[in-house]
Amino acid sequence: MTQQDQNIKSRPMTGPLEGIPLPDLDRIPDYERGFWEGSYNRELWIQRCSGCDTFRHLPTPMCPSCHSLKYEWSKVSGKGVVYSFVVVRNPVHPAIREREQVPYNISLIELEEQWGLRICSNVLNIAPEDIYIDMPVRVTFIPTVDEPNVVLPLFVPSD
Amino acid sequence: MALTTNTADINGIKDKAAIVGIGETEFSFDSGRSELQLASEAIKAACDDAGISPHQIDGLVRYEMDTNQETMLIQSLGIENLRHWESVSYGGGAGNAVVGHAASAIAAGYCNYVVCFRAANLRSQMRLGQARNPQRITGGQQGFAAPFGSMAPAHQFSMFVRRYMHMYGATSEHFGWVAVTLREHASRNPRALRRDPITLADHQNSRMVVDPLHLLDICQENDGGAAIVMTTPDRARDLQHSDTLTLVEAAAQGSGPQNEGVIYRPDISVAESTNTARDLWARAKLGPSDIDALMFYDHFTPFCLLNLEAYGFVPFGEAKDFVEGGQNIRFDGMLPINTHGGNHSEAYIHGLTHTQEAVRLIRGVSTSQPPKKTIDRVLSCSSVAQLSAAVIIRRG
Repeated sequence: MTQQDQNIKSRPMTGPLEGIPLPDLDRIPDYERGFWEGSYNRELWIQRCSGCDTFRHLPTPMCPSCHSLKYEWSKVSGKGVVYSFVVVRNPVHPAIREREQVPYNISLIELEEQWGLRICSNVLNIAPEDIYIDMPVRVTFIPTVDEPNVVLPLFVPSD
Repeated sequence: MALTTNTADINGIKDKAAIVGIGETEFSFDSGRSELQLASEAIKAACDDAGISPHQIDGLVRYEMDTNQETMLIQSLGIENLRHWESVSYGGGAGNAVVGHAASAIAAGYCNYVVCFRAANLRSQMRLGQARNPQRITGGQQGFAAPFGSMAPAHQFSMFVRRYMHMYGATSEHFGWVAVTLREHASRNPRALRRDPITLADHQNSRMVVDPLHLLDICQENDGGAAIVMTTPDRARDLQHSDTLTLVEAAAQGSGPQNEGVIYRPDISVAESTNTARDLWARAKLGPSDIDALMFYDHFTPFCLLNLEAYGFVPFGEAKDFVEGGQNIRFDGMLPINTHGGNHSEAYIHGLTHTQEAVRLIRGVSTSQPPKKTIDRVLSCSSVAQLSAAVIIRRG
């Protein structure tokens, strides 16, 4: 824990990472599109089975519970807790390295609507050393620099 | 949801295949030669160890990720009559799956001399630890991970680790004891890439790569090849190692729900290899107390703890106490682990070297041979997430 021992906290993330892979919204499958359309509209839309009302993420063409092919995109509250998180300090992508974007956190957010319903994201406005499991968070939306049509659902501490 | 009836009490391969040859290239950070050459050299070395000619190979089991195709190996090794071939998916999960598949091909009579192998320039060519996503993702789980910077195995797997630490109170020091032990084993192994002993302080002072993983929690990225030759026990009695038969006693593969993308599984603090473990023990009609040494897939040190729990060597949450100080898991301890130094310090050949080391332990020729006990039975198990596999190798 030597880095922490220095008592110098890393800078918080303030927006999406730059220069890294993004979905090609013209080419992704239909059953993934709602997630990104929701974010574009500044709402968190999660795929929900029309047959059994179960939320699911990752998006899939078929409901893994009842096998219905019918689904809707359901707006959720955007409130949740940090289920787990990591802090990347070694860049593995050229844009992360060249633009000096480390450290950054990757956080797994469990949404309040359903047990086990999790999405991968980043928590903004907080030093990575201060993030903790079960920390309450809420969603915010910020367009990526590289593709303004791709808006990411990101999270901020909710209190 | 009820589990469907399983066939875990049927062990159709039990003792029907013998590992008769193991071989490898040197391990390096830049082999300076093609992957086909690495594969050819490793397979030839394994045939030499068995006392057969590559001309006699009539079965091949490859990793799906391996670039060496069957026809290339037929051409290079002079294989005259390939009767059976398979490729097994899922990288680290395949480490032992290829061994199980090869044993089942022998048991079924599909071929007489089957080779499983892995050969790759995983340092000088394609590094698995770097981001490998396309810049524009056209679908699938990576589109929901890479935009947030989750682009490498260490990113996904340290998600498990953080949650595991939270659930069970394990600390980085516990992982450090695994690292220290693996390095000590490698320090005794002339094949190993990293042979300088390390202390717990060295581990703690190594740079943080993906918090909570330090550099010394993470396996090597290297070049090299490894191969294993199997045949029937009857044929094995006429070959070079006829004095010590090493038999494949049981094999299993397993998975659980929601494992696409690794991090969406119902409880990521528990290894998915619990499913593999359940079937393996049921099939083998054995349990952890029957095992003399454990070879586990050490891509990241914390998965030593998760595997100890998944395979039932210790109750959930108690592996941290078991590994503390390293005495229990050293080559001269109660349950020797990765006596070759593992992916962590010997070399990363996608787990195939772990089954090779199981064979060495049974032959009594490991460079860290346990001094106080005869090794009759070794468990070799793969990566813990998504899809996993395991084999039990025993003295015949």
